[in-house]
Formats: sequence, C-alpha cells, structure tokens
Amino acid sequence: MLFWIIAEIIKILVVFTGLLLAAAYLTLLERKVAARIQNRLGPREAGWHGILQPIADGIKLFFKEDIMPSGANKALFILGPMIAVIPALTTFSVIPFGAPITIFGHAVPLQITDVNIGILLILAFTSLGVYGVVLGGWASNGKYSLLGGIRTAAQMVSYEISLVLSIVGIIMIAGALSLAHIVGEQSHIWFIVYQPVGFVIYLIASTAEMNRVPFDLGEAEGELVAGFHTEYSSMEFAFYFIGEYAQIVVNSAIITTLFLGGWQGPFLPPVIWFLIKVSLVILIYLWFRWTYPRLRYDELMSFGWKFLLPLSLANIVVTGFVMLFIR
Amino acid sequence: MEILFYIFSILIIYSSIMVVASKSPLTSALYLILSFFVLAGFYVILDMQFIAAMQILVYAGAIMVLVVLVIMLLNLEKYKNIKTDMHQKFISGLIFMVLFVEIALFILTGAGRKPTGIFTSEVIKRVGNTQVIGEFLFTKYIFPFEISSILLLVAIIGAYLFAKKRF
Repeated sequence: MLFWIIAEIIKILVVFTGLLLAAAYLTLLERKVAARIQNRLGPREAGWHGILQPIADGIKLFFKEDIMPSGANKALFILGPMIAVIPALTTFSVIPFGAPITIFGHAVPLQITDVNIGILLILAFTSLGVYGVVLGGWASNGKYSLLGGIRTAAQMVSYEISLVLSIVGIIMIAGALSLAHIVGEQSHIWFIVYQPVGFVIYLIASTAEMNRVPFDLGEAEGELVAGFHTEYSSMEFAFYFIGEYAQIVVNSAIITTLFLGGWQGPFLPPVIWFLIKVSLVILIYLWFRWTYPRLRYDELMSFGWKFLLPLSLANIVVTGFVMLFIR
Repeated sequence: MEILFYIFSILIIYSSIMVVASKSPLTSALYLILSFFVLAGFYVILDMQFIAAMQILVYAGAIMVLVVLVIMLLNLEKYKNIKTDMHQKFISGLIFMVLFVEIALFILTGAGRKPTGIFTSEVIKRVGNTQVIGEFLFTKYIFPFEISSILLLVAIIGAYLFAKKRF
C-alpha cells in the first residue's frame, strides 16, 4: 500500500512537471517553427539559440503589473484562467505513457490511473475547457472580451460533437473504453489504418477545440484586439497561455494513444516511442497554424455542422457495417 | 467512502441552495454546474463511472455551456425589478410538499430493499458497467430508448422550425 502511494505521487509529480515544462518550451518551439516557415531565425538572444527564452518570458510575466479592469467580476475574472489550465492538466492522468515496469517486484503501470471509462473521462474534461474562455471573457466586462468569449463558446460546442463522434469508431473496434486496453489492442496494427477518416476529423476538431489558427475566431486579432483575453495581464494571462500549450501536448498524447499505437514500437524503450510520436503530432499542430489563414465565422460554422458532423456520422455507420461483414 | 458521501452531501445541498438563492443568474448557473459535478461524484461512489462521465460530458460540458451563453446574451438589467407574487409562492410550496412526502415515503418504506436480478454488483464489476448499460439499452429497454430518441428528434425539428426564416 505504502509502495503504491509513493509510486502514484512520483508519477503525478513527473507528469505534472513534464507537462508544465513541455508547455513552456512549446512556446519556444512554436516561435522557432514559425521563424523557419517564414524564413527567419527566431529568438536567439537568451541562451544558446534562445534556449532560455521561455524562462525569461515567465519571469517577465511574473513581475508584470496585475491589472483588474473596473467593473469586472473579481472572482470570475480570476477563476477563468484557472479553469483553462485545470482540465488540460487533469486529462493527462488517464493517458498511458509507457509499458508497465517492475520495481522491487511490484508491477507499476506507467499511467497515473487506469479507469475503465478512460476515453469518456478525457472527453468530459475536454468539454470543460470552454468555461475558462467564456467566464474570462464575460468577467472582463469589455466588448471585445465578451464577443470573443461568445464566439469561442459557440465554436467549441459545435466542434465538440464531431470530436466525440470521431472517437466512436475506435471504441467500436477496440471494444473497451480503457486507454490501456486500447493501446494493448494496437500491438499488431495501429488504429489509424482502420480509422483514417476518424483521425483526420479528430485532428481538425481538436484544433478547433483548442482555438488555434485556422479556428482562432475567439481571439481574432484583426477584429477583436485579442478576444477573450484582451483585459488579462501578468500571471493570469500566462495561465491562459499555459492552458493552451498544455492542451496541445495533451491532445497530441490522446491522438498518439488512440490512433498511433500509444507507447508501442520496436527497439527503443516504450517511453521514448511515446515521446517521439507525441512530438511529431505536436509538429503537425504547429505546421497547421503557420500554413492556413483564419476562416470566416460563417465558413467555420457551416464547415463544422454541414461537413464534419455528417462525415463523422458516416464514419461510424461505415465502420459498423465493415465490422459486421468481416465477422 | 462514507466520509466522501458526507462531503458530497454538504456540497450538493449548499450549491443547490445557492442556485435558487443567488441574485445573479450567472452565479446560479455556475452553482448548478458545481452541483452536477457533485452528483457525478455520487455516481462514482455508487460504482457507476459511465453515468458519472456522462453527467459531466452532457450536463456540465454541453447543456450548461448553452445556458451560460444565453445568460450572457440577455440584458439582465431588465429582469432586476421583477417581484414574485403569492401565486408563484403557492405553487412552489405545493411542489415542495409533494416532493417532501415522496422522499419521506421512499426512505421509510425502501430501507430494507436490496437489488434483485442476476446483475449483482460483483457481476457488474466483472463485466464493466458500460457494457451492461449498453446491452440493456439495446435489448430490454429498446422501446423507451427509441421513444426518447424520437423525442429529441422532435425537439430538434421544432427548434429548426422556430429558428428558420419566415416565408
């Protein structure tokens, strides 16, 4: 029992610090990738090739003045950024990041907890991320913030349906909701082979769910100043930032687990395989951002409801028929 | 487990009272979300993880987002001076009495009852409660399941008819 508690605490600490560090260094990676795509060099001043840049940014944000707009709802103004971070960090607790290892004769699964409803838990927590944006936008008591918050809420609710439905095919093939079980099922062949359409839908819908370009209507800087976080400064702004980048890591980990075989792979240790796959998916998200221009709002809505949703429903029906014929 | 039950009970009673007691509609909605979360906690205590996840996914994650959205779009200044009259108080009192009698009867008569049938909690733990719920929805309870899905379809079509432009 004592061993189990210590192992859990160590795993939680490792995942927590790992996620926060990854979120911090993703800002640097994003700037480097953007620079390469636009034929620039990116940050180079702080440390070797800008390696200390995230730390410098963090210190700067920490010491900035904390401004509260007049007429803002104080409690909700502070609650908004918190809610943006917590679901992103909590989601990682059910993702298996390595094969079970044996320490002192005890088998330790490299996953904080293996609940039997893993996928549903992930979806439930992802659906809560919208409150951070909406509450922050409303509590700021400003036009641009409110418009950004409302746009984001409508967008996230619309794309969440496609996001949930794109995973149903995986659940049907694997026959379980537990993520450890789903990774185990992919030892021979990755699920991306069976579910290419589901993979593409998940990739698009999760980009929309994270409010990243080309779906960043909530913070469209050409129209809304900075959208829902216009009034935020200092650490509260940093929290929105951490939440966004932690969500990229978490979504890449979910894609790796569901579609790319999780930690499975030859020769290298499982944890290394997991990290390689996650970083590749992260690069796809960054590549998206610096390739596509932003959609117009009506285009966004009609794409979500008239194309993505019917496609994900058709994906479920076709998967069901194929499974029926093969058996 | 018992200590969790008491913590959850205190939380859900507090948040439910705040839903009706707080003056600002948005605060009420947020307390309602909190009470949905606590309800999900109760389901986890009862070993019903599937229903707990659905509670958060559907109620807290989807329905309440729309409620919060509508509240934000309303002009709340207009509704500040509305007063309740005796007529409303009478109806709410009546509903309170009926619910109270119902709960009291349930507690007094249902104390010694145990779940019957072949699906005891050991079986459910072995099979997994998601699988058991899925099997029941598509075999024994297919009729109520389909009826409720038709109800939702009717609601969607109704909303469409209201929202569509008049000819």
